[in-house]
Amino acid sequence: MRAADLVDTDFGTIDRRIFWDSAIYERELERIFARSWLFVAHESQVETAGSFVTTYMGQDSVIVARADDGIKVFLNSCPHRGNRVCFADSGQGRSFVCNYHGWAFGLDGALKKMPKMGLYKNTPGFRFEDWGLKRARVATYKGLVFATFDETAPSLEDWLGDFRWYLDAVLDAEPGGTEFLAGGATRSVINCNWKFPADNFVGDIYHALWTHLGGAEPTLGRHGGVKVENEGSWQVSVNGHGWEFNDSFLGNAATMGDRDLLRYMRSRQEAITARLGDFRAKMWGSVASATIFPNFSFLPGYFTFRTFQPKGPLKTEIHAWTLVPRNMPEDIKDRFRRGSMRTFSPSGILEMDDGENWEHSTAANAGFVTRNQRLCYAMAPPGEVKEKELPGDVHAGQLSDANQRAFYRRWVTMMDTESWADMPLASPSVAVEAAK
Amino acid sequence: MSSDPIAANKPDYSTYPTLDRAQAAAAAQELLALDGRGAPVDMATHHAIERFYLREARLLDEERYRDWYDMLADDLFYWMPLRENRFRRDKRAPFDPSAMALFDERKADIAVRIGRLESTMVWTEDPPTRHVYLVSNVEAFETGIDGQYEVQSAFIQYRNRSEHDDATLAGRRRDILRSTTDGFLLARRLILLPQSILLTKNLSVFF
Repeated sequence: MRAADLVDTDFGTIDRRIFWDSAIYERELERIFARSWLFVAHESQVETAGSFVTTYMGQDSVIVARADDGIKVFLNSCPHRGNRVCFADSGQGRSFVCNYHGWAFGLDGALKKMPKMGLYKNTPGFRFEDWGLKRARVATYKGLVFATFDETAPSLEDWLGDFRWYLDAVLDAEPGGTEFLAGGATRSVINCNWKFPADNFVGDIYHALWTHLGGAEPTLGRHGGVKVENEGSWQVSVNGHGWEFNDSFLGNAATMGDRDLLRYMRSRQEAITARLGDFRAKMWGSVASATIFPNFSFLPGYFTFRTFQPKGPLKTEIHAWTLVPRNMPEDIKDRFRRGSMRTFSPSGILEMDDGENWEHSTAANAGFVTRNQRLCYAMAPPGEVKEKELPGDVHAGQLSDANQRAFYRRWVTMMDTESWADMPLASPSVAVEAAK
Repeated sequence: MSSDPIAANKPDYSTYPTLDRAQAAAAAQELLALDGRGAPVDMATHHAIERFYLREARLLDEERYRDWYDMLADDLFYWMPLRENRFRRDKRAPFDPSAMALFDERKADIAVRIGRLESTMVWTEDPPTRHVYLVSNVEAFETGIDGQYEVQSAFIQYRNRSEHDDATLAGRRRDILRSTTDGFLLARRLILLPQSILLTKNLSVFF
C-alpha cells in the first residue's frame, strides 16, 4: 500500500485507515520516527554535567544526558539482554547501571564495566566499544535539543529550514535565552492516533471557534472573545512543519484571563519589536498554534510545548512543558506556569475538550464502513494565494487546511520514499539571523 | 482587538478571592508540614468532619458546584502537584510549589473552572459524566490553632460517561479545615495522585 494512495493533498482528502491501521503505524515508526529529527529536551533540563532526563523517540525509550563534552542521546535499553536501563524520569549521576546483570554505561552511553568483567575480557572477539547504548545524532536550535537515529538524515538546520525564522518569535523574543519551567513533563494518555493532535496544532484554528466555546467563556465572555478572522492572519509551512497565526500579539494569552500578565506582555511589545521586527513580534503570544514535524507542537501565548508520543495506532501520550524567557521576572513566570496549567494541561479548561474530540475521531474508525469514508481537509478559502515576500510556503488567512495538507504531503513523502536523496527539503531562502 | 481582550460580559473574576504569590507559597509550606503527628480530635469533631466530607463528595457527584464552592474558604489553596519517577538517592524535595502542577488554584480559579462547566457549551460534559466519589481513611488532628484541623484522607473517584468511557483515580488528600459558625470551610488541600503519567485523558473533575 502506498501512502500516496491514502492521502489526496491537492483537494484535501484523507483515508481514515491512516488513523487506525497497525501496519501503517509500524511503517510510521520506521519511516517517520526513526528518520526525523525529534525533539528530546530543552537544554535547561540538562543544565549541569551528569544531569539527565528520559524520554521517547517514537516508541524507543532514550536517555538525554549532559556529559562533560555536551548533550548525548542514546537508547535506554541494555544491549546485553535488553532490559530498560534507567527508570527515573530525571536525575543526576555519572553512570547508568542495568538492573539485570549490572552492566554500567557512562554519560555518553559507552559500556564502562560490569560484574565479573574478566569473563568478558577473556571472551574472544568481545570488544567493549561494540556494546554501548546506541547513540543518536544530536543538534540544538536556540535551547531546543533534537535527535535522530538516522545517520543519513540531513542536518537539523536543513530539516527546520526557514521555519527557524518563525521559531525565533517564541525562542528569541527576549535576550538571554529560554528555559522550561521546573517540575518535569506534565504527562497524560489519550486514546487517539498521534496525527490528530499533531495536525490540529499544525493548522487547525478552525476548531477553536466551536470546541473551545465553553472553556473560553469564563475568561473571554460568551461568543465574545475568540476572534479569528482571515484578515491579518497567515499559515506558514516548511518541510511539513507548520504555524497558523494572527497579528494580535497576545490573543492566545488573553484566554488565561490574567490582566497583570497581559499588562506585562504589552510592556514588552516595543522591545520585542525592536528585536524581531513588527511582523514576528506580533506572533509572540497571538492566536496561533504550531507543529514541528512530526509530533512536537507548541502554542504561542501559553508557551506550552509538547510532544505527542505514539504508543500504538490508537494511543498517544502528551508530554508538556512551559517555556519562558530566562530573564522574565519570577512573578510573570509563575503566572505563565499557572496560566498554561489552567488552560493547556489535563486539567486545562481548553485542552480537556480537545482530547475528547481526538479520541472519538480515532475510535469511530472501528467501523468498517466508517473507516472507508475519507475525511475532508479541503478548506482553502483564499484559494492557493501565496505570500511571496515571507519565508516558507505562506498562505494568507489562518482559517484554512493549507498547513494540514502540507503536513500530510511530508508524511506521504517520508512514508513512500526509501532514501533521503529522494526526499528534497525546501532550501532556506533567508539567512537566519540571530536576533539583535 | 479591543483594548481589553478580556470581555466585560462575564463575572469579573479578578475581584474574586485569591492569594498573592507569597501567600500561596506559605500555604504550600503549611500543607507540606502536615505529618499526622498532632493530637487526634475528639469524637464529636471527628464525626462532624466525616459528615463534611460525605456532603462534599455528594455535592460533587451531583454537580452541585456552587454549593461545593460555598464550602471553600476565601483563602483557599488547592494543589495537585505532578509526580515524577526519581531514584531514592535523588536529593530533590519531592514536591516543589514552584514546579508545574495539575492543579495550583485559588478560590477565584475554582470559580473560573465552574464558569466553564456552567457555560452550557462544554461538549465533553454533554451528555454529563456520572461520578462516584468515595472518601475514606479519615484521620483528623489538632493543629495548635483553635478551630483549625489537619485532616488526612484517601479517595477513589470513579467517572463514567458516554459508552465505554471511564476513569478510576485513587489518591490521598491532606487538608486544613477551619471551623466557623456556619460549619467547616476547606482552607488548604493537597491532592496526591499516585500516577506519574495521568492514565486518563483529563481531570474534568474536582477532588
